[in-house]
Amino acid sequence: MNKMANLVHIPEVKDVARKTPIEVFPDPKIAVVLTNQQSGATNLPLVKVGDTVAIGQKIADTKERVSAPVHSPISGKVIKIENAFNSCFEAPTEAIFIENDGKKTKDKTLTPIKESELATTKVEDLLKIIREAGIIGMGGAGFPTSVKLAVPADKKIKQILVNGAEGEPYDTADERIMIERTANLVRGVRVIRKILGNPKVIVVTKDSKVEAVPKLQEAFSKEPDTEVIAKHLTYQQGDASMMQKAILGYETPAGKRSYEMGTIVQNVATINAIANAVFEGEPLISRVTTLNGDVANPKNLMVKIGTPIREILSANNVTDCGSVVVGGVMMGTALQTLDAPVTKRTSSIICFNKAHAKPKKPTACIHCGRCVDACPARLQPVAIYNAVIKGDFAKAEKLWAKDCIVCGTCSYVCPARLPLAANVKMARS
Amino acid sequence: MSNESQLVVNPAPHIHSPMTKNRMMQLTFFAILATLIVSAALWSQVTTTSGWNLGVTVVVCIIIAVGLAVAFDFLIGKAAADSEVNTWSAAVFGLIVVACYTLGVPAMNTETGLPVEAPLAFYYVAIITLLGLVVFKKVMSLAGRKPVNPAAAAKFLVLLPSLPATLLAVDHLSTGPLGVPSLAGPIGAAPTAIGTNGMAGFGSYLQGCYANPMNMMGSLPSIEQLMILEKYHGWTGGACSIAVIIAGIALFAIGRKYFKWKITASYLIAISVASIIFSLIFGDADLTTRLLFEVFMGSSIFMAFFMATDPATTPYSGIGQIIFGVGLAILTILIQTFMGFFGGSLLALLIMNLTVPLIDKVRINKPFGR
Repeated sequence: MNKMANLVHIPEVKDVARKTPIEVFPDPKIAVVLTNQQSGATNLPLVKVGDTVAIGQKIADTKERVSAPVHSPISGKVIKIENAFNSCFEAPTEAIFIENDGKKTKDKTLTPIKESELATTKVEDLLKIIREAGIIGMGGAGFPTSVKLAVPADKKIKQILVNGAEGEPYDTADERIMIERTANLVRGVRVIRKILGNPKVIVVTKDSKVEAVPKLQEAFSKEPDTEVIAKHLTYQQGDASMMQKAILGYETPAGKRSYEMGTIVQNVATINAIANAVFEGEPLISRVTTLNGDVANPKNLMVKIGTPIREILSANNVTDCGSVVVGGVMMGTALQTLDAPVTKRTSSIICFNKAHAKPKKPTACIHCGRCVDACPARLQPVAIYNAVIKGDFAKAEKLWAKDCIVCGTCSYVCPARLPLAANVKMARS
Repeated sequence: MSNESQLVVNPAPHIHSPMTKNRMMQLTFFAILATLIVSAALWSQVTTTSGWNLGVTVVVCIIIAVGLAVAFDFLIGKAAADSEVNTWSAAVFGLIVVACYTLGVPAMNTETGLPVEAPLAFYYVAIITLLGLVVFKKVMSLAGRKPVNPAAAAKFLVLLPSLPATLLAVDHLSTGPLGVPSLAGPIGAAPTAIGTNGMAGFGSYLQGCYANPMNMMGSLPSIEQLMILEKYHGWTGGACSIAVIIAGIALFAIGRKYFKWKITASYLIAISVASIIFSLIFGDADLTTRLLFEVFMGSSIFMAFFMATDPATTPYSGIGQIIFGVGLAILTILIQTFMGFFGGSLLALLIMNLTVPLIDKVRINKPFGR
């Protein structure tokens, strides 16, 4: 039975933002750089209060394997190291506060290579650049990219899926990257192909991205063994496992990683960052983020990581903030404070005005079964929810709570507004 | 810092489908109301022996049931701190109580069940409403999910004292002078006189039961016309089968995947197939009489669309809903055939409701990648 037919369509709300070119946002006066933005091992600060840092200087790192360092986005002085709200973990964590000196001094630790040198560069060196540039999955997962790309030698990668679906409603940052940085994406993909032993490349995007599709088709037409697929995809199919099902037709067995199926899925923002690191020597210190929601002018901004969200909102005259969500309205985090900074995973900043932002009021379940029908992972969200409410985590596990992809569709469709996704997510971890 | 404390922090996701419980209940309310309005209009042609117009009786019943349900729901909601006030849900419940209450003129009532005409019917509608709302809707839902359909359970409880008489009456009539044929034997549209199974044909019985009592002179409408378009006796909600079908399908079309249409579809298909099988087994004179009766009698068609699909008392998975619909059809036809309890879908529904926790455990689709 093809259960994919049940995928819930969620309105895109991207009409204005997707047509708005990326605008460079000014550097912050004080950058708040969270020492941990990746999933994996914990970073420790490499600088102390009073130190002077340059743009791109590594300021926090660890020796653990599954890790990615963070860098200073501006030049200036470390004024304090204390906790700030971290949207990646929905809690305050350690941050390095840097006061901008306006000198724009650059750190030159990362040595870029020329495009012509790519063929002769060793894979280890490329992986090292990616690791030292602090690149992590920018689609939301935050997994260190150098670790993901270091596939065991006995596993042959058959294809790379370039994930340009950008399923999250409101978000258009990836779409603008595909439109404006197409050439950069092409060379980023070349790097990944080289690392993974020249597999086939499939660039996947949605047919609704009418400006991006022809750009991608043109730019990738000259690349060997590369295909651009632009088709109708639902929000859920932006997930790596769902995308493999939609494009390649198989379901990755639970518990297996996609490389074991011969596939690597890489988000376009991440590929853009890889190209910047390898060919420009630029670590991950800025990203494109979409400002959308109840704002007069939805737009896409190139912002420095560490820029306080408050600065971005006030510079764009967004004053009526009832709720501010970063990283997507379906899977992202609602900020507890506007002092929270932009992170490597802040794909968007969505503001809901006070009239639209209402605290959720869950009511009793009416057993309509909508969540069961809608779940792309074919779980029974309401059953897991009931187990979690009773504290019966053993039962939640039996109901395969671990297989949840945290897409939020169950909560989206629930007519009783139950926090299903949040509870299943809790059971999962 | 002043606006910080005011930031709303919800867990993801931060947007929702426009469908809410209230909206579902509003849609259901108007769908059932539409069918009841058709019933009232149709029945306004009839005046019962007590002098009440049958159409007016329906309207008064609606006012009583909906009024009481909404008022008591509000009072209980205010009295018990942890109880939700669900005005629309209570209103839908009130409508269902009326829709599943049997009205008509007493002469047409071959059973000795609940009173079928005003003013006595008003008292019974009020009793069923209060019993259903307080006991089966509010008290039972304290422990979580409601176990059985509250309107069906309350009606069945009130019907219980007269049930033996009802069953006996049908059994007695099949061999008596009136000659109502038993469904557990061969039937047909015309008087059959096959064996001892009633003197009158089942079709004639249906015509006598369902035709407009004000217009009994001359030729009676065909069985098809009565069963599909106009029945002047039986469940209030099922007077016009086609109106129920149109309102039901409109509800499914507007509410899309929020309504359990799979139960309705599987029930209707299963009961049609079962009717035809029974017709063949018993050697009926034709295949349509039994089919028309089993599918389009008020308790069958109204229940299929509006009671068997009650979200709280039915399975949540697609496959579970199909099992539920088929089970309901088989139980209904067995009860009506072998117990002689016409309107037995009420009992069948209560039994199937109780099996829901078990059906919910049936898994056909394994999770993604398993």
